[in-house]
Amino acid sequence: MRHLCIAVLLALASPLHAQRTAREIVDHVDRLLRGNSSRGEITMEVVTAHWQRSMTLAVWSLGTEYALIRIDAPPKDAGTATLKSGTEIWNYLPRVDRVIKLPSSLMGQAWMGSHFTNDDLVKESRIIEDYEIAIGFDGMRDGVRVWEFVLTPKPEAAVIWGRITEEVRQDDMMPTWARYYDERGDLVREITFSEYQRMGGRLVPAVMTVVPTDKPNERTVIRYVRLAFDVGLEPSFFSLRRLRSGAE
Amino acid sequence: MAAGPWWRIGWRNLGRNRRRTILTATGLAFGYWAVVVIAGMADGIVADMVRTATGILSGQIQAHAPAYLPDRTLYETIGGNEGTDVPALLAAIEREPGVLGAAPRVYAGGLVSSGATTVGVLLVGADPAREDSVSRLTAALVEGHLPAPGTRELLIGSELARQLNVRVGTELVVVAPAADGSLANDLFTVAGLYRTGIAELDGSYAVGPLDAIQALLVLDPGRVHEIAIRIADPWTAPAIADSLGTRGVTPAGVPVAFRPWTTFRPELVDYANLSAGSMWIVVVIVFLMAIFGVANTLLMTTFERRREFALLLALGATPRGIVRAVLAEAAALGILSIVLGVVITVPVLIWWHYDPIDLGRLFGDFTMAGALVRPVLRTDYPVTMFFYAAGALLLTALLAALYPAFRATRVPPADTLAGR
Repeated sequence: MRHLCIAVLLALASPLHAQRTAREIVDHVDRLLRGNSSRGEITMEVVTAHWQRSMTLAVWSLGTEYALIRIDAPPKDAGTATLKSGTEIWNYLPRVDRVIKLPSSLMGQAWMGSHFTNDDLVKESRIIEDYEIAIGFDGMRDGVRVWEFVLTPKPEAAVIWGRITEEVRQDDMMPTWARYYDERGDLVREITFSEYQRMGGRLVPAVMTVVPTDKPNERTVIRYVRLAFDVGLEPSFFSLRRLRSGAE
Repeated sequence: MAAGPWWRIGWRNLGRNRRRTILTATGLAFGYWAVVVIAGMADGIVADMVRTATGILSGQIQAHAPAYLPDRTLYETIGGNEGTDVPALLAAIEREPGVLGAAPRVYAGGLVSSGATTVGVLLVGADPAREDSVSRLTAALVEGHLPAPGTRELLIGSELARQLNVRVGTELVVVAPAADGSLANDLFTVAGLYRTGIAELDGSYAVGPLDAIQALLVLDPGRVHEIAIRIADPWTAPAIADSLGTRGVTPAGVPVAFRPWTTFRPELVDYANLSAGSMWIVVVIVFLMAIFGVANTLLMTTFERRREFALLLALGATPRGIVRAVLAEAAALGILSIVLGVVITVPVLIWWHYDPIDLGRLFGDFTMAGALVRPVLRTDYPVTMFFYAAGALLLTALLAALYPAFRATRVPPADTLAGR
């Protein structure tokens, strides 16, 4: 009888336990490229049906609340910078020497012509709060032990995705891909992770490739060239003054 | 009226009590008048709505690259990445009969910002001189001047100016994704403000000179998204669009889709159909009321002539002949009413077409189906209703006569003649 009780309790507890684990893993993956604070150098290559361009970006981040991104190349855009502070996004335009705050109605617009939206900058960091996370698959795929997590938005969450699935390798906790579905359940875009290497003292996927499903010939490729973690940034670093001055 | 003895009798019977005939005919004529004038006003409102809705910005026909709609992407310019010879294309379009003007435009989603306020807008690059002959945007200018070609000046809506808290002369930051993938940004000066009364237009459009907006968006001068076309009669838009599309006004290898307003503003067509459909309700109500009045008159007429009918029947007239006589009288009354109706209707239609009733003092302007409507009841010429109402009137008179005619045949000859 006592054993039965324990067995029942365990059975009841285990989904809860699994849920917490799933959350922890997704949270861990989410923090991989960010740490508590980070300072990185990125190249972003955007390929569309009409043009293709490559940009060099300098990135600072602190937790999930703050990020500063400055374009260093090409020369035409150099100095253009984006500041994310909480749910707000500010852009600095050196050509006209003005800072403008992005209206919330335009959060869904592409960021600097890439396949990321401004929303991605703001909302991605809230995955843990906005989504219920479940393990959709746990086993071997292509000879690698992986989890597939299914992220469903909480009823009250103001998010644009209907569902996100993400695959993570079990032995090194490295993400391999994430797929984003709209409210109708159709795949909208896929992010694949690759070139896992040690940067700033930890193993990270150095390359992220975004492919919009409706335009399979287009893509945005983000490559971390340099990455340092826990660089001791304060919230005060992420100011409009810093946005203007180019952050150095 | 000399088609037969019954017809002649019917017609002459009308003259027996002229006052009553005139009164009845006048009643029917006013019914006709009411139906046709109301239809004329309804047509006038629809025509006014179409003129306003298409006249402010869109034009009555639009030319785009075939793939431009519905997404309106920046890259789908006429002629693709190479663009086209825009002046030649404009000239070719303007040679089409019925076309009054054509204006090239580029569009892009963007941001305008002043101080701490940033608003998402639709940036429009336009040629102010040509817009004059196509849209009423330039005429809606309430302050300042039109942006001059070659300058970084903007014409913005009064509502947008209020949101941004700017006035003529203020500098605005304009940001938009450019065709080369870069983030275009530049300073523009507010040259003028316009007010159309349409919230969307006044609150979210910023119009600059075509060349300056093209330069901002990194589009060559030969690349435009749209050519808006104004024509004389909005109802000929589908035919002219068809003709423009098939006649090959565009240079070889440059596919262009010409769309009439009936396809890009289908709700206006729906409204026109609804308005025309609801006219039938008016027709039914008016003539249903008339039918009883006329029936009453004819019933009295036939009752007064009971002895006459009895005599005719006694002399060997068939009931069919009696019916024919009464119906002929009703038909003659109907035709008289139509003549009278046309006489009182046409002058009023013409009068209210050129000097419409203005309810502007009672009501302000209002918008309906996204079109600004001035409360001016300018009548149009409702050609179909003109004839349909006449038909309905004649039908009314004949239907009203059926029962009196039937009653006339049932007069018992012997008793009636004997005065029993």
